[in-house]
Amino acid sequence: MISDTAEPLSLALPKGRLMEDVGKFFKQKGLDFSFDNRKLVSYDKSGNLKIFLVKNSDLPTYVNHGIAGLGICGSDVLYESGYKFFNLMTFDFGGTSMCIAGMKGAKRTANERKLSVATKFTKFTSDYFHKQGIPVEIVKLNGSVELAPVLGLTPYIVDLVETGNTLKANNLEILEKLEDIKVHLVVNPAYYKLHYKSIKRIVSILKAKT
Amino acid sequence: MTEKLNRFLQVPMGTETIYIEDAYRHRLANEELGKLFTSWGYLPVETPVFDFFDIYQEFIPVEKDIYRLIDREGDLLMLRSDITLFLAKQMGLSLKETDLPVRVCYSGTILRHQNREDISKNEFFQTGVELIGKKGHNADLEILMLLSSTFRTLEIKPALHIGSRELLNASVPDIGNSGKREIERLISYRDFDELGRRLRGITDSKRADTIKELFQFTGSAEELRNYTESIKPALNPKEISAIDKLLLIMEDLAKLNLGGDFVLDLSEVGNQPYYTGIVFQGYLDGVDSAVVSGGRYDNLLGEFGFTTPSVGFSLLLRKIENQLGKKFSLPAFDKAEGENFIDSLQKAEKLRKKGRIVIL
Repeated sequence: MISDTAEPLSLALPKGRLMEDVGKFFKQKGLDFSFDNRKLVSYDKSGNLKIFLVKNSDLPTYVNHGIAGLGICGSDVLYESGYKFFNLMTFDFGGTSMCIAGMKGAKRTANERKLSVATKFTKFTSDYFHKQGIPVEIVKLNGSVELAPVLGLTPYIVDLVETGNTLKANNLEILEKLEDIKVHLVVNPAYYKLHYKSIKRIVSILKAKT
Repeated sequence: MTEKLNRFLQVPMGTETIYIEDAYRHRLANEELGKLFTSWGYLPVETPVFDFFDIYQEFIPVEKDIYRLIDREGDLLMLRSDITLFLAKQMGLSLKETDLPVRVCYSGTILRHQNREDISKNEFFQTGVELIGKKGHNADLEILMLLSSTFRTLEIKPALHIGSRELLNASVPDIGNSGKREIERLISYRDFDELGRRLRGITDSKRADTIKELFQFTGSAEELRNYTESIKPALNPKEISAIDKLLLIMEDLAKLNLGGDFVLDLSEVGNQPYYTGIVFQGYLDGVDSAVVSGGRYDNLLGEFGFTTPSVGFSLLLRKIENQLGKKFSLPAFDKAEGENFIDSLQKAEKLRKKGRIVIL
């Protein structure tokens, strides 16, 4: 049987805001790792994990193709990818909210025929409002989404809100929180089946109280 | 011309082009499997490439993945997306009680939508077997042994995970089709926290915890025996019977020295509602999803007019071809060099008789 060999498990981590929290958490559990200057591949101290650094939004693609068996990623990015993985655990850190926001004082009115929204999260936005029976017109942006209402591209945006400071600074406010976004450890289903013993060991280390 | 060339470079989603070495390997693998299946008495059947959509609608997991077309009479047709289904209808129509049991094998192209960005799916070609009209342990065992031989023939070693749809049916009370599908999805995606929450809505919390724990089990026969022994008072008789059947199969596989090929995995509950008994899937390193699926489906043929039990598996051949053993690689060619063309032709013939591949 080729499963559960001594090979380290492969784990993709997202570059950016989550990395620091993930690093701290793994250190607490004795799975320290660090990346040499500009390197994108590393191993944890115990040699149980081979870790890749990838762009946040590309992470589900690597896990889907089984290049990285495991991945740590926010539910926003996972949903947007459309891929289905096993969720092994949900972390306490890195949580945020998906919100709809507009200019201060703006109110969604009942006779609004359709909603015009600028967002990076097009799949989430269309699915969310369609489920409620609200037609939605979406403008896809890749960043600085807050500009859309300010410049008059669309009256509303759907985006992740952590502190709300960027919204405030641009004279915007949250109209409604749409969903809690959590950070998850996910695994490619076929990879899990092949390496379930090693994966269970890693998950129990990560879940152990320190 | 550039515009035309651009058009040539595109292929419709869900289709592919196979180049020479790949095509050689594909054909050889298919031939070798054909020979193996025949040697077990499984004879080939062919199914139509398209059929009426409405007949299969309830068995199609994702309707959007199906290619549909309209015929001259205005009927909605579908292109073959799963040979097992098309075969069930054909067998339902043509079989008679006196023919049973029947052993059949098939191999052919299937068409499913595949995202352009998602090159990993490779669900283009299905090869499989079915043992129709035979119930029980020995038939299940025959199919599992044939599955094992199939991978030995291909010189690859996947992890084969066996579970039981019968166990799921025994554990989950009758909550209607869509409720059951949701439970099945939560178990196969190992989303046990959500499963626990759902189960508490339909049964008491103690029972919900038992079911939630039970379907997480993955391990050896020995481990399953010890585990079920420890929770026996919490299990119902039908659950115990389904687990005993699995253990009996593992016992016989061990006697045949095939125990190491299989893992008991109760989260395998079958990805189709028509499964009724054992279910299994096979996984390979470097392949994104299961390469083979199968199990017992005693009610499927009945949906098409002829009720008889059936067990089988189907393999997505294109998914595994880049991992096939050495014997499937394109062999080296010899070049016949003679004094003149006639001489070369004669030399080539001699070499070919020795089994060599010779070009002129």
